[in-house]
Amino acid sequence: MLCSFKNPAEHRYVIRMWIMAAFCVLFSFVAALVFRLCHPHGVLSYLVAVLPALPIIGALVYTGVYLAEEKDEFQRNLLVQSLLGGTGGILAVVTAWGYMVDFAHAPQMDLVWVYPLFWLFAGISYGIVRSRYR
Amino acid sequence: MDCSPKNPAARRYQYRLFTAMAFYIAFLVTAVWAFSRYHVTGALAYLLAVLPALPIVGMVVVVGLYLAEEKDEFQRAVLVQSLLWGIGATLSVTTVWGFLENFVQVPHLDLYLVFPLFWFFVGISTGPLKAKYK
Repeated sequence: MLCSFKNPAEHRYVIRMWIMAAFCVLFSFVAALVFRLCHPHGVLSYLVAVLPALPIIGALVYTGVYLAEEKDEFQRNLLVQSLLGGTGGILAVVTAWGYMVDFAHAPQMDLVWVYPLFWLFAGISYGIVRSRYR
Repeated sequence: MDCSPKNPAARRYQYRLFTAMAFYIAFLVTAVWAFSRYHVTGALAYLLAVLPALPIVGMVVVVGLYLAEEKDEFQRAVLVQSLLWGIGATLSVTTVWGFLENFVQVPHLDLYLVFPLFWFFVGISTGPLKAKYK
């Protein structure tokens, strides 16, 4: 899906995701730099801290937009099933990890890892679902 | 999905979900009791900590089974869309909160709260989705 653009919706989706990824990197640098150099306080510190999360929310919105725009039902179903697989995977892992942190004092997992981990599971399920339809 | 489900898939779904919930309560009570009484450490601590997460993983599987078994396309579509809205909102919240934890030191959100948070968002989105199709 990332390498070949078969239809306009897919093409738009990939471009939008790359733009969001670029903004995420940029905003992360900006936030880190502002906190290092300016030490913001109060409301401003919250606003700067949230900055890198905005492109990630944008990427989620664009995934929804892609699902709405995609005309190819097979491709849409493939992505929906992958997202559901990713949902199941991430919920299982964070719940298990959460209880291990709480009861067995396992190392804390940073909440920002939930999003990339979700896409890892979605990617794994994409491969599985795709191979099932071959 | 209602209180008294009419179709067999929904009935099985409710039965399996309640069974998983009963196991969750039993395993959670067992884990809390064991940790408060025996001060378990090492591999056994991890195994015992994961115990309450197993029925949660079971619930995820139960939802997947329901989606595979449900013949009513409307019910399936509403649940799939609710789940997608649920994971979108959950990922947004965990990412924003994760960056806030990293930069502003807000209180830590326990990982095991991600699962109820996800279902909270699924619940919120189900109403508007059903209303949209009426």
